[in-house]
Amino acid sequence: MNPLILTIILMTVFLGTMIVMASSHWLMIWIGFEMNLLAIIPILMKKYNPRAMEASTKYFLTQATASMLLMMAIIINLMHSGQWTITKVFNPTASIIMTLALAMKLGLTPFHFWVPEVTQGISLTSGLILLTWQKLAPMSILYQISPSINLNILLTMAVLSILVGGWGGLNQTQLRKIMAYSSIAHMGWMAAILVYNPTLTMLNMLIYIMMTLTMFMLFIHSSSTTTLSLSHTWNKAPLITTLILITLLSMGGLPPLSGFMPKWMIIQELTKNSSIILPTLMAIMALLNLYFYMRLTYSTSLTMFPSTNNMKMKWQFETKQITLLPPLIIASSLLLPLTPMLSILD
Amino acid sequence: MLKIIIPTIMLMPLTWLSKKNMIWINTTTYSLLISLISLSLLNQPNNNSLNFSLMFFSDPLSAPLLVLTTWLLPLMLMASQHHLSKEPLIRKKLYITMLAMLQTFLIMTFTATELISFFFLFEATLVPTLIIITRWGNQTERLNAGLYFLFYTLVGSLPLLVALISIQNLTGSLNFLLIQYWNQALPDSWSNIFLWLACMMAFMVKMPMYGLHLWLPKAHVEAPIAGSMVLAAILLKLGGYGMLRITMMLNPQTNFMAYPFLMLSLWGMIMTSSICLRQTDLKSLIAYSSVSHMALVIVAVLIQTPWSYMGATALMIAHGLTSSMLFCLANSNYERTHSRTMILARGLQTLLPLMAAWWLLASLTNLALPPSINLIGELFVVMSSFSWSNITIILMGANITITALYSLYMLITTQRGKYTHHINSIKPSFTRENALMALHMTPLLLLSLNPKIILGFTY
Repeated sequence: MNPLILTIILMTVFLGTMIVMASSHWLMIWIGFEMNLLAIIPILMKKYNPRAMEASTKYFLTQATASMLLMMAIIINLMHSGQWTITKVFNPTASIIMTLALAMKLGLTPFHFWVPEVTQGISLTSGLILLTWQKLAPMSILYQISPSINLNILLTMAVLSILVGGWGGLNQTQLRKIMAYSSIAHMGWMAAILVYNPTLTMLNMLIYIMMTLTMFMLFIHSSSTTTLSLSHTWNKAPLITTLILITLLSMGGLPPLSGFMPKWMIIQELTKNSSIILPTLMAIMALLNLYFYMRLTYSTSLTMFPSTNNMKMKWQFETKQITLLPPLIIASSLLLPLTPMLSILD
Repeated sequence: MLKIIIPTIMLMPLTWLSKKNMIWINTTTYSLLISLISLSLLNQPNNNSLNFSLMFFSDPLSAPLLVLTTWLLPLMLMASQHHLSKEPLIRKKLYITMLAMLQTFLIMTFTATELISFFFLFEATLVPTLIIITRWGNQTERLNAGLYFLFYTLVGSLPLLVALISIQNLTGSLNFLLIQYWNQALPDSWSNIFLWLACMMAFMVKMPMYGLHLWLPKAHVEAPIAGSMVLAAILLKLGGYGMLRITMMLNPQTNFMAYPFLMLSLWGMIMTSSICLRQTDLKSLIAYSSVSHMALVIVAVLIQTPWSYMGATALMIAHGLTSSMLFCLANSNYERTHSRTMILARGLQTLLPLMAAWWLLASLTNLALPPSINLIGELFVVMSSFSWSNITIILMGANITITALYSLYMLITTQRGKYTHHINSIKPSFTRENALMALHMTPLLLLSLNPKIILGFTY
């Protein structure tokens, strides 16, 4: 794509999310969402093939429906409160519809069906933007309306998301679908703690974005989109396989890596609020996620040939440059000892 | 405690910066020095614990386990030299780094004061062990073994995390030094029953208890020698150590909650001992014998008498040394014949007489011959379980007999009789292997002269 056009489109995406996050008028927030949606469609369609068109169409339809639901919730809120300020939602119906709309944007169950299919149809970089940047705007709105959200609906969606994210990813070999199901599961964790302590939602979001960024960067570096092609990375860049191992273990939530920190904090917050069965269930279902991450690590890093050889060299057109990989690796694996720093958020 | 932890962490840069012909020498020497430092912890002067800081402490229960851990690292390094000799240099350094990382986590686990910190490090030990088993094991079954190991332990220990956090809510602190003075009886309710279960199941899986032991034969058999050694000697004792610490907070539910687990352990020790009699795979036999000995430890911990705690601690240390030695012996067979089947390498006494002496000593300590510390441990456990309920003596006696049976079966099959015709071209025993066995056996024999250092905090 022409670099100037690409810059304008990316800036619009950025601006859309910024408008959502910075506004206090509901209409501006809706405008921000629409700006974001319209600008990201060309990004999703960077590779001009029918699969990408199908993916972008699905994305557009679901997100537009969600925006419309959001608008209806805003109008109902306006009817009952007479104002457009985003302080709290004044009517339970409006709150429920708003939660459902934002869940549709995020990809929480039962609105998760678009996530794997859209992520699979687009290129790796677009998938990266889809799974990380696009989650920021809806999550910020959820953060702001968190006092008035109906707990039952949110918790149901969260637990179901963790289940679906775990079970759905079990049968996948395509890396983008695996990342999509992992995103569904992580969104579930974030939604579960939203009502109790929204700060932890933001923490989880931060760590999730760092880990997903790292994973996508590693996939882009080896330009692999299937498990099979990922398993050939030991040939070209054996260090990448170790990094994939560390990041995947961190995504699975194993101590002592930093992926454990959000899970631990969320379990602690939920337990302090006297819900004991819920975090136990969530933690055990996160193990399903760990299973398919382990399967990836088995084929990639833990079963290598004794020495590098010339078999099965992967044809690679150009070496892709990975930006910011060292800081990302550090952030996605070594941040656990910094957990006491969370006290600054009080 | 930092005087042990920091040198262990520094073993990792030591490996990466050493020259090719010095890696084994450097790491083995320095890890022996670290174990020498840890010996000073055995001097536990009074009834209290040695508190080094807010985060680390050492008491008569954790000091012997710590010394065992640090003693085993040089032994693991010595045992791994042969099977890693053909690997590229970076792979060797990675292996040693995994072992050093595992060692750091284990040392911090055994000396942690906060129970949440103990939990982290307990789980953190899983990652290097998993990598060692899956990457450096020898058969394709190792993939399955790694998964079983990881998931059994994780499913058991995630409820423990929730339980620890809810205990912290109830009592305000999880610092072990405080809890032992603040201890109150847990009120009687359904949720406290689940709390008890959540706390104990993690350690039951780790020990392992009979019904949940499926991961152990797989993991022990498929792991390389250092993996088997550290699994059998230390990681199982993590479960025992955790149980000993946490049962202190779980009264009075233990009085009735312990029954199913006692029954399972009592029955399980007989079952696993009997299975040993029918094993063809040598490492599998030693693995099942570990389950059987650990079942004794579970019985001892759940009975909660002073003598049984002494027996549990002594048995853990003794079994650690014995079982690690047996795995080293089995590995010396494996390196020569590349098969773990017992009958393929029989009659070794004719070919390797000194190794046969080590086999004899290891088998004798495995079957708890007096005056070894294995006997002290088992005897204390048998006596305390007899005082708990007279009928258990039948099961315990049967277990001791069957243990003797399979230990002798293992000895006679591998050592006695006429050798097979295909093994007369094996290499003679290396000095390294003899040193390894001697370094296992010497603490075992010396401890029988002064067993009170391993008898734990109820002595």
